[in-house]
Amino acid sequence: MKILHLYYDIMNLYGEYANVSALKRIFEKSGIDTQVDKLSLSDTAVLSDYDIIYIGSGTERNQKLVLEDMRKYKAELVKCIDEGKVILMTGNSFEILGKSITDCEGKLYEGLGIFVFETVEQNKTRITADAILKTDLSDKKLVGFINKCSSITKVDTPLFAVKMGIGNSENDKTEGIRKNHLYGTHLTGPILIKNPYFLEYIASIAAGNGVKLSTDHLTHERAGYEITLSELTKRMEQQK
Amino acid sequence: MKRFFTILVCKLLRFVGGIVGKGSSLPGKIALRLCPDILSRVELPKYIIAVTGSNGKTSTVEMIAHILTENGKTVAWNKEGSNQIEGVTTLVLGSSTMGGRVKSDILLIESDERFARYTFKYIKPTHYVITNLYRDQLTRNGHPDWVFDALKDSIYPETQLILNADDPLVSLFGYGRDNVTWFGADELSSDTKELVSVYNDGAYCPHCKAPMKYTTHHYNHIGHYECTSCGYKRQDTRYTVTSVDLDKGEAVIDGKYKITLALKSLYNIYNILAAYTAASIVGIDQEKIAADMSDYVMKNGRVITFNIGDRPGTLLTSKHENSISYDQSIRLACADKRGCDVMFIVDAVSRKYFTSDVSWLWDIDFEMLGSENVHEIILAGKYCNDLAVRFSYTDIPGEKIRMIEDISEAYEHLKSDRKEYIYVITCFSDKGKFISLL
Repeated sequence: MKILHLYYDIMNLYGEYANVSALKRIFEKSGIDTQVDKLSLSDTAVLSDYDIIYIGSGTERNQKLVLEDMRKYKAELVKCIDEGKVILMTGNSFEILGKSITDCEGKLYEGLGIFVFETVEQNKTRITADAILKTDLSDKKLVGFINKCSSITKVDTPLFAVKMGIGNSENDKTEGIRKNHLYGTHLTGPILIKNPYFLEYIASIAAGNGVKLSTDHLTHERAGYEITLSELTKRMEQQK
Repeated sequence: MKRFFTILVCKLLRFVGGIVGKGSSLPGKIALRLCPDILSRVELPKYIIAVTGSNGKTSTVEMIAHILTENGKTVAWNKEGSNQIEGVTTLVLGSSTMGGRVKSDILLIESDERFARYTFKYIKPTHYVITNLYRDQLTRNGHPDWVFDALKDSIYPETQLILNADDPLVSLFGYGRDNVTWFGADELSSDTKELVSVYNDGAYCPHCKAPMKYTTHHYNHIGHYECTSCGYKRQDTRYTVTSVDLDKGEAVIDGKYKITLALKSLYNIYNILAAYTAASIVGIDQEKIAADMSDYVMKNGRVITFNIGDRPGTLLTSKHENSISYDQSIRLACADKRGCDVMFIVDAVSRKYFTSDVSWLWDIDFEMLGSENVHEIILAGKYCNDLAVRFSYTDIPGEKIRMIEDISEAYEHLKSDRKEYIYVITCFSDKGKFISLL
């Protein structure tokens, strides 16, 4: 198993590196040799060499640097998505895949254009929320935290339904993007640690059909997940 | 008349609030409603010293107040720690005459980073100390760059900035500016050549975003840095920690003033240095400052010593959602050669707002607890499972770690015949749950 952690240093704002640690561990516990490559701005990666590609969240400024750097990968990335490679992009990293990003001063950055959605940032209020998100990929809802300053419109293939938290834009009850096995969400931090069932899903797609993954090591992860889900559910009921 | 009335109401409310033990922000809040520009209608003293930053502002402000008071100055300061505009309004009106003149020689204001731009719209600091900018309460603050941008709006051209030269992001406030006083530390015996931290917020230049190089790290990304491209670098300092001996608990400032430390951490030393710098600028004799800071024990209750049966211990109030604050506390425990047990409590992430986010645990360098000085690690509170997962990603052997969710049970566990010194590391939001058991 080969995992690429791209922009590991500049897009790692909320402990996102742990998503890669969680993937590495579940494969190793399942007896699968796993290699993690950490690459960043000054490197050139061969995307097709990897089974999983991961990018985390960064500051608005760093995201723009990454957008520029990612242009060199555009054709390769499109091919990877079409071929169904597992690509996970969390926080504001997935915004670069859209048509454009407009920053808080109104400056427009052309996106990679793989999707038609548009992102607009502002600098007045940080948009943050605890979140419960529902998906048809797994029986279990996802829990986590959203931390952003942008609004995304024209998403035609969202990833989640929002039970608690914030959607792609203010009145949108859907969150994230997906296409084949590319998954983008504004959930920040170690979402694969916090959501052991989603980890299982992502890992099993990458491992391929018929590979049985070992999940016995996820005891504390599952207990932690249940506690957070129950805390968030309680909170959501109170707010109603 | 409006001013007189507003001041009167604020003073009365503050007086009543003091009796019933209510917070210090309500009187200011009401005063601002009665007269929104009340802060611009009062006559302020010659020195208005503001202090902000992610960590150490409350301690630094307390130290400055202590030094100035010891040296015969009168100081109005926000002792209660209410550091948003309402709390500052309570402070200013509470310290002024009915005619609207602040009676003290010095107005000393601790300010929240994100709200400084509102507070200082009316009260422009003459001197502005910025201690550091770290990943702190990111569920509210977004990230350090976001806070930087918010803070930038609170800084005026005529204000004398007092900046931590060792923090690359804080130093950017002084870029291209003349009226800056820099404080910082020379290369210290406790420094490391390589970064010791889970993440690196000093990897790229805050000015041009090219990679940065460090010649020394004091802790985390605090140290001596230089950009490999644009030449942005650490500035030479006017007020300097020239050497430290953390084992002995001593620091030397400006090569001649030795200070014995009540708390043997670099954190504490930076707070002392910031206070030393501010007090020096006000004109206090430096030898006296050093004497006032020697063995100074903070009164803000963040470090509490206790006994559980025969076992002595210290509670180190750290901040949840602030990895560097945890790293500092952990470093202090790990340096204890007597041998110690360390308990972590994560039960409520914040006392001020709700969140269930524990991403910040992944930014804390728990690996340090592999030190032979640390014998047992106890994980307590509602989020102990998340702590246990985090520890499972360190090299610390599982036998050393014990998870006890219930805080009372964890306390009972400490009541053993073990000889180790106890460190309890937790936040404001959870420390009361432990203290009430003592």
